[in-house]
Amino acid sequence: MNKGTGIRDQGSGKTPERGLWYLTAAVLMLSGCRLMAQAPARSIVKPAEVDYLYPEQVSVPAGQASKVVLHFRVGEGLHINSHAPHEEFLIPTTFSIPESSGVKLEEINYPAGSDLTLPFDPTNKLSVYTGEFALDTRIVAAKGDHLVEAKLRYQACNNSICLPPKTVTVAIDVVGR
Amino acid sequence: MKRNTLVLGAVLFILATFAWAGWANFEYRKQAAERILAGAAQGELVADSPGGVPQLVSQLKDRPAPGFSLEDLSGKKVALASYKGKAVLVNFWATWCAPCRIETPWLVELRNQYAGQGFEILGVSTDDIDRDDAKKLGEEKQEIAKFVQRMKMDYPILIDGATLEHPYGGLDVLPESFFVDRSGKVVAVQLGLTSKDDIEGNIKKALGK
Repeated sequence: MNKGTGIRDQGSGKTPERGLWYLTAAVLMLSGCRLMAQAPARSIVKPAEVDYLYPEQVSVPAGQASKVVLHFRVGEGLHINSHAPHEEFLIPTTFSIPESSGVKLEEINYPAGSDLTLPFDPTNKLSVYTGEFALDTRIVAAKGDHLVEAKLRYQACNNSICLPPKTVTVAIDVVGR
Repeated sequence: MKRNTLVLGAVLFILATFAWAGWANFEYRKQAAERILAGAAQGELVADSPGGVPQLVSQLKDRPAPGFSLEDLSGKKVALASYKGKAVLVNFWATWCAPCRIETPWLVELRNQYAGQGFEILGVSTDDIDRDDAKKLGEEKQEIAKFVQRMKMDYPILIDGATLEHPYGGLDVLPESFFVDRSGKVVAVQLGLTSKDDIEGNIKKALGK
């Protein structure tokens, strides 16, 4: 009887703490399980002609034009036409943000291309981007979080082949605060 | 003491919950961005080999050339089958392809040089065309015609070459040239720009020389 009372007394003194600790532990375990469930097993993204480097997330004052510089990298051995190719038939690199995204592309400044001469054709110069290049933009974001699916259109070649023109999605998390 | 522990536990719990929510939100956004990229990026890195020639191989070599019938710039249908008995170079190109522009003058010269021996070139443009919009289609054809005129391409020019992607192995890169002999067999394939000598050698092969 006494023993039972003792146990009950001890229990009544520690049950709320234990409950809290169990609850905390359960929350942490659940969060761990959720993260494990969400973690991608392996990237399924193939190497691209052009990779978007950064930023993945930007935070800007809502409703105000803010400067954001977007960095890209052209695959080794390849080049893409600049925004202003010298030849009229070549496809320029362009960047756009869909109107419905909650973020407006107010202004964009493309870098000047560098001149490239192909073997077999030393008289003609192409205006291209190679390696890393950056687009200097000014965006206006509405208040809130926006996962923007911006578009980069380009056409890549190396010295002897060209790949078809491509429009790829550039995912940027924009927070208007 | 008990009360302090209780408060400490509650504070820890709240902090842990916030930390978890923040981390979970970050992970969710990161993975959403990755999913978008995964759905969009279909690019394939194509690098130069040491010799400058892309390491690409066509499965069509030594096989019958897949038949086709495509429109020329005037709207007339042109079939590969109608060239049976001739050696034919089926050359895929596009107005936006800089290496194609380099090899085109070579093709014009070689076609003139070997036409008398039963050789013809079919220049197949893979430029996008919009068949659902007559006005746009007209503009696109005009753009191709302008290029053809500027490059003095006096051999048959066919459009809508992208429809031959499947039978001709994907047409992943340009230029692509398939050399077809008099019996209709593909005797050589050139993927990418090589040299005028290479093209001439393959024309001779197609002619049976």
